[in-house]
Amino acid sequence: MHIDLKREIKESSAGKTGLVILLIMVSIATLAPLIAPYDPCQQSISSLLAPSLSHWLGTNHVGQDIWSRLVFGARTSLLVGFGVGIVSTLLATIFGVSAALVGGFYDKVIMRVVDAFIVIPMVIVVILVAAYLKPSILILMLLLSLLSWQGGARILRAQALSLKEKGHIAAARSFGAHRFYIARRHIVPDLGPILVVDFIYSIRRAVFMEAGLAFMGITDPIVVSWGMMMRDALSFSYLNVWQWWLIPTGVALSLTIVGLTFIGYAAEPVIEPRLRGAEVA
Amino acid sequence: MNLIVPFKIERKMLSKRNLVTYTIAFLLILALNFLLPRMMPGDPLTAIYGDEALIAMTPEFKAHLIERFALDQPLWNQFGAYLLALFQGELGYSYYYSAPVSAVILGRLPWTLLLVGTSLLLSTLLGIVLGIESGWRRGSKTDRALLTGLMSLNGFPDFFLGMVLLIIFGVTLHVFPLAGALTPYAGLSGLPLVLDVLRHLFLPVAALTLTYLAGTYLLTRNTMITVLREPYMLTARAKGLTQRVLKYRHAGRNSMLPVVTRTGIRVGRVVTGALFTELVFAYPGVGCLTYEALLTRDYPVIQGVFLIVAIFVLLANFVVDLFYPRLDPRVNSAY
Amino acid sequence: MPRLLKIEGLSVSYGKNLVLNGIDLELGAGEALAVIGESGTGKTTLGLSIMRLVEGTVQGIIRFNGKDLLKLTEKEMRPIRWSRIAMVFQSVNNVLNPVHTILSQVAEPIIEHGLSSRKEAQNRAIELLSYFGLPQSCFAAYPHQLSSGEQQRGLIAMALANDPDLLILDEPLSSLDAINRADVGRLLKESATGHIMLVFTHDLATASRLADRMAVLYGGKIVEQGPAQDVLSRPSHPYTRALIRAYPNMTTVKDLQGIRGRMDGAISGCPFHPRCTQAIDICSRETPHLVSSQEHQVACHRGGIVTLLSTRNLTKSFGSLKAVDSVSLHIEGGETLALVGASSSGKTTLAKTIVGLYQPSEGAVYLEGAKVDSWRKDFYQRVQIVFQNPGESLSHRLSVLEAVVEPLDIQGIGTRQEREHKAIQVLGEVELPQSRGFLGKYPHQLSGGEAQRVAIARALVLEPKLLIADEPTTFLDASVQAKILKLLLNLQEQRGLSMLFITHDIALARKVSDRMAIMMGGKIIEEGPSSQIVVAPKQNYTKSLLDTASALRIDEPGAARFSISRER
Repeated sequence: MHIDLKREIKESSAGKTGLVILLIMVSIATLAPLIAPYDPCQQSISSLLAPSLSHWLGTNHVGQDIWSRLVFGARTSLLVGFGVGIVSTLLATIFGVSAALVGGFYDKVIMRVVDAFIVIPMVIVVILVAAYLKPSILILMLLLSLLSWQGGARILRAQALSLKEKGHIAAARSFGAHRFYIARRHIVPDLGPILVVDFIYSIRRAVFMEAGLAFMGITDPIVVSWGMMMRDALSFSYLNVWQWWLIPTGVALSLTIVGLTFIGYAAEPVIEPRLRGAEVA
Repeated sequence: MNLIVPFKIERKMLSKRNLVTYTIAFLLILALNFLLPRMMPGDPLTAIYGDEALIAMTPEFKAHLIERFALDQPLWNQFGAYLLALFQGELGYSYYYSAPVSAVILGRLPWTLLLVGTSLLLSTLLGIVLGIESGWRRGSKTDRALLTGLMSLNGFPDFFLGMVLLIIFGVTLHVFPLAGALTPYAGLSGLPLVLDVLRHLFLPVAALTLTYLAGTYLLTRNTMITVLREPYMLTARAKGLTQRVLKYRHAGRNSMLPVVTRTGIRVGRVVTGALFTELVFAYPGVGCLTYEALLTRDYPVIQGVFLIVAIFVLLANFVVDLFYPRLDPRVNSAY
Repeated sequence: MPRLLKIEGLSVSYGKNLVLNGIDLELGAGEALAVIGESGTGKTTLGLSIMRLVEGTVQGIIRFNGKDLLKLTEKEMRPIRWSRIAMVFQSVNNVLNPVHTILSQVAEPIIEHGLSSRKEAQNRAIELLSYFGLPQSCFAAYPHQLSSGEQQRGLIAMALANDPDLLILDEPLSSLDAINRADVGRLLKESATGHIMLVFTHDLATASRLADRMAVLYGGKIVEQGPAQDVLSRPSHPYTRALIRAYPNMTTVKDLQGIRGRMDGAISGCPFHPRCTQAIDICSRETPHLVSSQEHQVACHRGGIVTLLSTRNLTKSFGSLKAVDSVSLHIEGGETLALVGASSSGKTTLAKTIVGLYQPSEGAVYLEGAKVDSWRKDFYQRVQIVFQNPGESLSHRLSVLEAVVEPLDIQGIGTRQEREHKAIQVLGEVELPQSRGFLGKYPHQLSGGEAQRVAIARALVLEPKLLIADEPTTFLDASVQAKILKLLLNLQEQRGLSMLFITHDIALARKVSDRMAIMMGGKIIEEGPSSQIVVAPKQNYTKSLLDTASALRIDEPGAARFSISRER
């Protein structure tokens, strides 16, 4: 695959837009302490205030500054997203590539397990576990990772299988290289583009899941989450507060997800070159 | 979400999924359901039912439960009792609703099914049709507009979209009701009842459909683009067939295959989405039930929902796998 | 005969790439025309452009049943497709829709064009599939479940579904094995009554099997057109002839030869001229057009393959003995004519007379159309001769270099340097060493094969168009002979050299010649294409020559098939 992933993304207007959005979000998250005037968890008596100079987006029902919460919420979403993305992709690579290279019974077992996990909806399991465990943010991340690597593993295995048949692998084996070396030197680099795309989509899924679960109430109470903010805002939807409480939060979340979508979309032609040329406005 | 694997690879993967996989999945669900409460510290009854529930139970009832589920015996026996009860349709007892879990869930299930079913159907059909039309006109203004629009829409989480719709159409414009599946105490029947249900159903379905439309659309569109370059499209054109026939019977029929493959997974997603959406619209389905159960720590209900939803999704996948070879004759041959 | 299809000046280009350059074709009812082209010549484009399925820029006129197809809108074109004009595609992967059964795909055009009800359409589809040999078990099969042979049969049945007036076939038999090819070809031909067929193929046997007329496509132009058997047995265009020579088949007997150079894109003038061995100045400037109003047309500035040398009633007598008796034969550019006869037949005398070593008693020799009154330098620049015995024909006084340079010295061509350079170059062509050591050797130091090669080199140094070889390999061992013959064939391929190959061995003549002339008692008793003479000789003498020719299995019935005693 001589296609340059970086180039693909840069050349597509969708890709560029996505990158820009993501960069903005990452900056906000990183600079959170600097740009948030208040401690996001500090409650006050001035609740449900409209936006003003001291509170850019007003306050919520327990008097917390919405803007500060929004900004710190970005941290949560992105941290969970990237964290789960990394672990998920890592697990997918390990299991997928090893299944392809080792083959035999090991492969069969792994694949059955993977397929079994794929048909079970992730959220339900997390809800069930969360009901009992009341997870911290780390446990949540671990849980999400364990439940989302299977899809990538399947794809990576398929690719690794087809790569395995290629000439230069056979050549390396004829020199006596054993499987780990082959995996490291030949297969994983070639899988690069797919890994990246899988990574991007994993992040996206994780961000969505975290927000959704928080919306349902399954979240780490110490952490500020956009989902949780939206859930709180829901009860007050009959008031005007939704304009500065719900909408900015929802838009921030949506933008993050859209940004990731766009990047993933721009990177996809790497795997299926015939899609190239279909530009988004 | 939309990682597009070259369809040839996907087809090969499909034929490998069989009964063994589903059995393993089923066992995993059962195991999780069974083991989780029993792995918690403390006595099993508390773990399964939670503190609050136990307070409200009479000692006789507790004894009955311990006996029923063999909670004072080793794990294997417990599992046996658990399975036995399961196959008799008993999912436990909800103290909060003062009713068997199965009855509680069954009361809510139809609404969720209605919601999920309608949304799934609409998003699949619309997605396929729009995807075909978009792919056919690739690069045109319509295509670009649809692409940008739907991809952006895809970024909105379903609950956010739901909330936006609720606020615009429900709160501000008062076009649609704000909550529930039926107007309470209206005592309607026949056609007015149907219309009432539809009015309440409209916004939640819209939210779900719009969110999950993009996935189908993109997949169909992209498959359409590759399909249009295949030799058989030239053959079909040479046959002097109308545009409609070319688009749908020839190209479309091939382009919709990846969507159908993934219907099983999509059921899982839409069900998940439905859970969130029900919260937004206070739609009295299984999602709302879960939320309530989480709040009241009604563990049996949560367990029951988990089991039923998971099995339902499993079944849906299985059924799709069963019917897929009818649509794509290449699947079960060594292709 | 009413002309149903008439193509005039069709040109198709994709961007800057001109694929078809002014094609003219005509087909009348009931006719079958094969368009021969190798890959890249534009034949698929031609087929698709008739059905208006081509993406590029199309100019010209395609008249079908009176209407100009190129002027129709897409909407008007659609009803015509598959009901009046249909196409049989080559059976490649995914040419049929993988999710529909073969039966439904055959029935589809019938239904869609509103010609029958669904039930009737299906019945007709079943009929057609059965007719073309598809077993019943395959009717409900999907394309990937069929072999490529079965797919091809399905494609043909599908094309004939609506009984079109014009059937276009793109390599219809190439994905079939030999046995299927014969079968399907026969079925096609039988079902062909009533409609016209346009077959595009690179395979000459398919063309000969299916078509009455043939057109040869090269570089986007039709270079030759005419009745199929005519074009195949008497090709006029150098490309056609070369194509036939390169094609392995059971008919031709000469060893395979290729075409020098390779096909190139944008060429000005005649598209074939860079590879043509008889190209002249004008060929690179102007594009030739198909000329002559007869059935057999050729596009060549020189009117097709030129006749290089001919004799008319050539006679040479020694006293009352007519060694050569009224011989009229001709040799075309780039071909080998074998003159076969016994030792007293007069063949060497004929050779020497042609070359001017004997003065003709009667009759005349014509070189490139002009009568040869006297044999001077310019004659020898175009005709050279190689004799039997290199031991005698090479002077024992001259070294290799000196021998090869000698003709240039005599003719006074070039400087000393240039002559030596040329000599060395030619020695390379005949695959001899070009080292100083070798150049200084004398004939008695050379082997038979080397010596004969030196003689050939010497003959080639003047760049003749015709090489007369009088029993050039008789004095050599068989293995050496084979190499010399290969060399001569290569020279013909590279330089377009014509040859008059004189031999007593008809088995040998068979392998190196395009045409043969059998000589007996000073007369030419039989003449014709080698492939024909060898399988269907007319004269008894020829038969006896074939009968007694070298065969490795004497007890086989074939070896004795021309036995005169068996004749009744």
